[in-house]
Amino acid sequence: MKNVYRPIDAEILEVIDETPTIKTFVVEPKEDIGFATGQFMEVTVPGLGEAPFTPSSSPNVKEKIDFTIMSVGKVTEELHRMTKGQMVGVRGPMGKGYPLDAWKGKEILIVGGGVGAAPLRSLFLALVERLDDFKKILYCYGARTPGDIVYKEQILDKWQKINPKKIEIRTTVDEGDSTWKGNVGVVTTVVKDLGIDINNSVGVVCGPPIMMKFGTFALVEQGYPDSAIHLSMEKNMSCGIGKCGHCMLGEYMVCQDGPVMTYDKVKDKPAIWD
Amino acid sequence: MQTHFITDTDLVTFFTSLEKRGPMYMAVRDEEGTVRVKPSSEVGSYSYPGVRAFQPLKPFFFSALEEVAEYPSADKPLKEARPFTIVGAASCDLRAIEALDRVFLEGDFKDPFYEEKRSKALIIGFDCTDPLETCFCVLMGVEPYVEKGFDLGLAKVEGGYVVEVGSDKGKQVVDDNKGLFKPATENHLSQRKALRDKTRDIVEKQSREYKPATTWQDLMSKVYEDSTWARNVETCVECGACLFICPTCQCFLLYDQRAGDRFKRLKMWDSCVYKNFTRVAGGANPRERLIDRFRHRYYHKLDYFPKTYGFEGCTGCGRCIVACPGEIDMRKVLKEADKS
Repeated sequence: MKNVYRPIDAEILEVIDETPTIKTFVVEPKEDIGFATGQFMEVTVPGLGEAPFTPSSSPNVKEKIDFTIMSVGKVTEELHRMTKGQMVGVRGPMGKGYPLDAWKGKEILIVGGGVGAAPLRSLFLALVERLDDFKKILYCYGARTPGDIVYKEQILDKWQKINPKKIEIRTTVDEGDSTWKGNVGVVTTVVKDLGIDINNSVGVVCGPPIMMKFGTFALVEQGYPDSAIHLSMEKNMSCGIGKCGHCMLGEYMVCQDGPVMTYDKVKDKPAIWD
Repeated sequence: MQTHFITDTDLVTFFTSLEKRGPMYMAVRDEEGTVRVKPSSEVGSYSYPGVRAFQPLKPFFFSALEEVAEYPSADKPLKEARPFTIVGAASCDLRAIEALDRVFLEGDFKDPFYEEKRSKALIIGFDCTDPLETCFCVLMGVEPYVEKGFDLGLAKVEGGYVVEVGSDKGKQVVDDNKGLFKPATENHLSQRKALRDKTRDIVEKQSREYKPATTWQDLMSKVYEDSTWARNVETCVECGACLFICPTCQCFLLYDQRAGDRFKRLKMWDSCVYKNFTRVAGGANPRERLIDRFRHRYYHKLDYFPKTYGFEGCTGCGRCIVACPGEIDMRKVLKEADKS
């Protein structure tokens, strides 16, 4: 019988500073643990506890997994003090990720903000690795300031260059600085003039609560049907296996029915944006 | 399934024989008249409980606190549970176990700790004969007599008990003690039927005024914004008694501790009425207000649970009514909402 509560040992191979509050941890699990993009895992700080994170690396890279993590609570603050060579635990993967197969032949609009870039990077890499399957990827990303942009090189140039015909990256910041030449404004200010056939498109939204809300509204305004808008729901996932009740959203256990859920399924549930 | 008869004295012999399986727990009345579940070693002489025990049966399968993992690595095999016997599961208790089975044994992941203990239990149910004033099982689609979910079901009749076999496991223990059982006669079965009808009538009568106009789910779909929640939450002190004593409440928390130079993970009952139950590390808390947490419990039982599993997550056992220091009565809270 498999013990679903036991974490698998994982070694921290590398710690990358992304922003003053966000780091990427590259970890090597000691047992096979594949995942589909958008699924999440519970990361254990030994003795302290677990917290849920969606990997930010490609699901096609098996031997190591990236987690991009903001320091906001007990577990993440301790994680941020950890260094290369130390051990953590991982448990998962859990839940339902992005339904890539159902998106074949479509144009993909991704709207992200802040540390919401983490699952979106995994999604973007997964899409790019089978780019022939999709018509276009438009990735709109917003951060508070230029210093808060999570994956700088990728966003500024590298991602666009992979295939300039099929990939478009739009980056914006709430407040610019002397070096910033790009758009200033919240992410919804770049979610327009999409050049996308909405009828053959799906939208993806991931970010902090307020951005999720207005990002979703922007997609609705652009004409996306509710069933084509994919949200990454952030709830207090504890067991991750649909039992403990912490992540309930209406009748859904977000950890199993989500974390990726279409807007039509959740729009009438209590407190979806909180 | 088969139906047998056993005399009062032979039932005691039968229980003694079942104690060889492993620990036995019995629901019996204490000196104050309250039915409690006790180890059989603490029970002087067996007597028919007549109504569900004060405490729920869920701790037998879903412990209030248990160790569920040790790390790093050391993938040691899970601890095997000992076979054990529960004598005295009322029909509402059986429905509660069915609810927990669905939660812990269905889906992509099974809870191995629940599964192990559940597989080792022999459950002997019984027909209620003395319902409490707080009983309302019939409103939740549960009869006050055993219908399913038991290995053996007892009903008190003159001179002994009708024993109904409900599973292969139940059949096995009857076969192992063949000499103690006789065929149940028409007379035994009609006595059982008369008692069942009588008990049902009592619960039906005392529940009638709380019966929803249509179905619970239909009611819940209309009353989310009703004033009943604000009015009734006023005496809620967030103690969690209603949840911990609820036979179907499933919520738990995982937490880790140091154990020497290693670490262990514990699984502990949790309560959705507690403030930080839904709080995420970033600070957002979808149910920050007490009224939202209070209401969630009702919606989980009567709307969300049926949507997922096809039956109510409340068994009508009334334990939450008895336990509440704020005198909140679930039946009345819902009745106030159902004024249409």
